[in-house]
Amino acid sequence: MDAYDEGPKTRPGADGPPGEPAGDGAADVGAGPEGVVSDGAVSDAPASGRAVDDDAEPDTAVRGDAEADSAVRGDLGTGDLIDPRDPGDLSAPRDPSASYDPGDPVPAPGGPGPGQIRGATAGIAALPLRSQVAAAFALAVVAVVTFVHLGMVFLHVAPSNTMTKQHGRAIDDWIYPEFEQNWKLFAPNPLQQNVSVQVRALVRTPDGISRETGWYDLSALDGEAIEGNLLPSHTQQNELRRAWDYYAGTHDSKNRPVGLRGDLSERYLRRIAVMRLAREHAGGAGAVVERIQVRSSSTNVPAPDWSEEKVSDKPVVRELPWWIVPDSDREGGLTEVSAR
Amino acid sequence: MNRFAPAVSRGISRVTESALGPYQSAMIRIGFSATWLLFLLREYPHRQELYGPESPWSWDLAQQSVSGNGAFSALLWSDGQGWFEAVYALAVLSSALLLVGWRTRTTSVLFMIGVLSLQNRSVFMGDGGDNVIHLMAIYLVFTRCGQVWSLDARQARRARETRAPGQPPALDRVGIALWGVMCLALAAASLTGRLSTGWLVIFWGLLAVQALWWVVGSRARTAEPRILLDVVANLVHNAALVVVMAEACLIYATAGWYKIQGSRWQDGTAVYYPLNLDYFSPWPALSHLMASHGTMVMLVTYGTVIVQVAFPFTLFNRRVKNVLLAAMMTEHAVIAVVLGLPFFSLAMIAADAVFLPTSFLRRLGGWAARGRAALVPGHRPGLPGPRQPEPRSGERNEHTHVGFTA
Repeated sequence: MDAYDEGPKTRPGADGPPGEPAGDGAADVGAGPEGVVSDGAVSDAPASGRAVDDDAEPDTAVRGDAEADSAVRGDLGTGDLIDPRDPGDLSAPRDPSASYDPGDPVPAPGGPGPGQIRGATAGIAALPLRSQVAAAFALAVVAVVTFVHLGMVFLHVAPSNTMTKQHGRAIDDWIYPEFEQNWKLFAPNPLQQNVSVQVRALVRTPDGISRETGWYDLSALDGEAIEGNLLPSHTQQNELRRAWDYYAGTHDSKNRPVGLRGDLSERYLRRIAVMRLAREHAGGAGAVVERIQVRSSSTNVPAPDWSEEKVSDKPVVRELPWWIVPDSDREGGLTEVSAR
Repeated sequence: MNRFAPAVSRGISRVTESALGPYQSAMIRIGFSATWLLFLLREYPHRQELYGPESPWSWDLAQQSVSGNGAFSALLWSDGQGWFEAVYALAVLSSALLLVGWRTRTTSVLFMIGVLSLQNRSVFMGDGGDNVIHLMAIYLVFTRCGQVWSLDARQARRARETRAPGQPPALDRVGIALWGVMCLALAAASLTGRLSTGWLVIFWGLLAVQALWWVVGSRARTAEPRILLDVVANLVHNAALVVVMAEACLIYATAGWYKIQGSRWQDGTAVYYPLNLDYFSPWPALSHLMASHGTMVMLVTYGTVIVQVAFPFTLFNRRVKNVLLAAMMTEHAVIAVVLGLPFFSLAMIAADAVFLPTSFLRRLGGWAARGRAALVPGHRPGLPGPRQPEPRSGERNEHTHVGFTA
């Protein structure tokens, strides 16, 4: 399970520590915690602690490696000269430069006394038993949280199934609001129509006359802004497009809102339309937008040249009712400045 | 059991003694912070429309929407214009600082706050790229992402070089000041009742852990408590890295497996359609050219599905994984231009980068260091380049950093 590349395993020397961890780390990170979990998470803690302790026992082996390390320190960059570490020895320090220990002023070249840290300077094996128990407990907690989180995310993105039907509430509680995600990118089928959102307005001109404007194709304006643009803005690419999707998703075919979100989506779409109309100076200078009407026009993307499929090229129009524009929608002031 | 015991204890030893994948975690730190920073700078002229109090998705609308799901957004603490500008500036600043790896423990949390505040404020402005950044910003908090290619690493190296053996590390005044400022800010947010209980626990917990880390590093008489903290930090880092990798796999698996069920992906025409959508064709002539050859469209359509479905399984084989990784990064680079989705593509490439081989990343770092040395005369090449093989020791000496821990 090589998520990463790594140097040959016979070179644990100078470029070992930074490079090597990335190596089969992916495998080990996965295997380690799971092994503990499968044995019964928390209750297993002392057992795994003991396993590591046993490995750390032979002080001579550790000291042997410490000597090897001083050799490493002598010639950094020529790790090839160092014998490969006994893979069974867990307690040996892996990083030569890590052997200095601020909490332990005398690095103790000989055998460390009882109660002191034995040889190793990192990892669970470097700890006395009581701390090993604490570390094992931490390992169990981290492993369980990781496992549960990945399971929840998996169930969240998976199709509706036995587990999501039974535990949908628990999954949603875990995922929402911060871990929500949707990766059905152009799937199961890509969108096959160009949906164009258009708006017209009833405006009152400064001399008190009310009149109706023509249709403004807001999506076409977005398209113009996107064309030839290496860095399209979210305001051009997502704002109106997603607002329309939101509206369509929260209204039935007779444009009746479904729940609170239906109301929110209506107000959102209206505010976008009013802002864009102001940018286009709809109705001329000084005119006030009193009412607006939004419609969508969906045109199928024509079938490819090489295909024998026939699709209608007639746009399907969906007209929404006229909406009264409240004053609060006109006060945005996001007209010229942010229109760039 | 006897056969597995050595493997299990070896695994436990590895995940406790070091924070694995230092170069990969640096890559995702740099990748996501750069993507978000570039996005914020590009949208600076549009910031009011996207996230400002007078956005079409107005402050009131956002408030009502968020009150239903409890998402975190500092922007909803006040509808003032000044507050908005301050949060936007903080988001820009935290991305830049995380990019260069300054106090990554603190800046990664600030980065997450910036990302969540803006994105949760205006959920309907984002796309898949924002979604990736949102998730990864949270996961980054738990990684030790400043082990290499960062100012943190450089500072740790300098501290190590100038310190006599056996001396305790010098007092980290900047770190303590930063920690104090964070405490004050969090206290203000807590006292005014802006934060939910969950976030209070998380933020105060992070500050407390950092304080503990610092106290243990400078006061403890034996190495034991410090090593224990180091073990826990390594565990959390390694778990977060697994989550990042699994998340990337889930993205591809979801995208791929759902595509298999679509008739257009089956009949080999799917790629033709996005190329003909007005919202995703900034270069119509190029799009039409690419969409005009039936066989090519089919090969790309099938190739996309195969690569996406296969990718998670190729992690078992290094070479095949690298080939697919190169293919996916190339496809995202093409998508950036052809479909006009630069920030989405950049975010996906950043996510892919967590799977890049260490040998390649080290070479990349070498090139970067040499490039900088050529551009900036007087710089010693390779410093603080990635050739210094001491990420872990760098991290070890970081325990005086005050801020947030991971």
